[in-house]
Amino acid sequence: MEQLLARPEMQSAVVPFAVALLAYLVLRKVTATAWLWALLSAFLISAALINGLTISPLTGTRKIILLVIASLFTAALLHWVLSSHNLQRRFTTIICQVAILWVFWTVLGRMNSASMVLFLAGTISLVLMLEWLFVRVVDEPAQLHGAGFSLLLGVGLAATAAASALLGQLALALAAASGGAFLGWVLTGDAQGKQTRQPVAALPYVMAPALLGVAAVIFARLPWYALIPLAAIPLAVGLVPKKAESRFLRALLASLPGLAIALGVAFYIWQTGSSGSGY
Amino acid sequence: MKKLMIVAALATLPMKAVIGADYTVDPGHTYVSFAINHLGFSTMRGKFNEQSGSLQFDPAAKKAAVMIEIDATSIDTGHAKRDAHLQSPDFLNAVENPTITFTSTSVTWNGNKPATVTGDLTLLGVSKPVTLTITSMNCGPNPFNKKETCGFDATGSIKRTDYGVTYGAPGIGEVLDLQIEFEAVKN
Repeated sequence: MEQLLARPEMQSAVVPFAVALLAYLVLRKVTATAWLWALLSAFLISAALINGLTISPLTGTRKIILLVIASLFTAALLHWVLSSHNLQRRFTTIICQVAILWVFWTVLGRMNSASMVLFLAGTISLVLMLEWLFVRVVDEPAQLHGAGFSLLLGVGLAATAAASALLGQLALALAAASGGAFLGWVLTGDAQGKQTRQPVAALPYVMAPALLGVAAVIFARLPWYALIPLAAIPLAVGLVPKKAESRFLRALLASLPGLAIALGVAFYIWQTGSSGSGY
Repeated sequence: MKKLMIVAALATLPMKAVIGADYTVDPGHTYVSFAINHLGFSTMRGKFNEQSGSLQFDPAAKKAAVMIEIDATSIDTGHAKRDAHLQSPDFLNAVENPTITFTSTSVTWNGNKPATVTGDLTLLGVSKPVTLTITSMNCGPNPFNKKETCGFDATGSIKRTDYGVTYGAPGIGEVLDLQIEFEAVKN
């Protein structure tokens, strides 16, 4: 069993997918934020399998793990505390930028002023773009999960191709968890209530790809411009008509454009970038 | 009062344990290399191209101290893609931890020559004691520039998983054999 769980495909695909699917099916009758708790339980298990339970020394990657977990908790709980949609949106933007500064603080300290300005301008633009695009689709579960799943898959595959299996595995684990919860929604429909449709629900889908994508640029060899088409995934998904009859068809239509972009970017990086294997 | 002022003035001076003559590591004649088992098939070798350091050395008093800093981004295995991967968070996380350091804590002697050097190797922010065996050591004037020079060859090994470098283990070996050759020039 230990050997089986040590395999990357188990840690980053099978386990998070199965845990998230099961958790969604169990929790959907209990809470409207079942998909967030499903993602949280799946990511906790995957992160423990990939990284272990240690957080010392507190590297950038471990900070990302803690922040993704915190973002899932916050998204599941904050709507009770902060009812204003405007405040939720501002909170999402600010907290994601603060998270980026915390993760990359040591690297920022060694940058010259021009690089620092470029880094800050780039990350602020990325967070604003993701937040704005995800809030546009947060109302529609098929589009929200289709965009989140595709974006995380794209970031995971691109990070792996850009020479960091660790960052890639974390993004892929979250993508698999998202896919599991998404399938749960396709099979059974919405969890009770409307709380999941508040803007803060998009927080994990903004924070996780932003942190993991920027980390793959800074810590590995992902070209910064690869983040542009990846960040456009929620835009492409948002263009898909929402009126399809069946949940399966809505899920399929909402996933295809994002998957096409994600796979295209990953293939480009694989062909041109520094691949982490094959030598 | 005067004594107190002298003590206070001395306390403000930078303190340094005087061990012996000061030497500076010559990067042009220093090689930090490693070997690791690759999936049970063969031994893969690599080296670091940038390093610096200092040595305090007094063989008469049998005292020595060495500090070597290695630039983790200078890793070179003769394969650019592999080097990029080795610098990533999977292995050295070189952007976040650009420096690997070895600072000696004790030295054993065989006659008037050092036999082993034990020190703290700091890698990825984790410090662990490592003992290096000195296989060759010579001091004397460099015949070209006449400067007093000491040269050392040393070997040792570390378990990379002790430093949190777990990627690919145990297929890619856990034990890393180190070989360090360096020359240091008297200041």
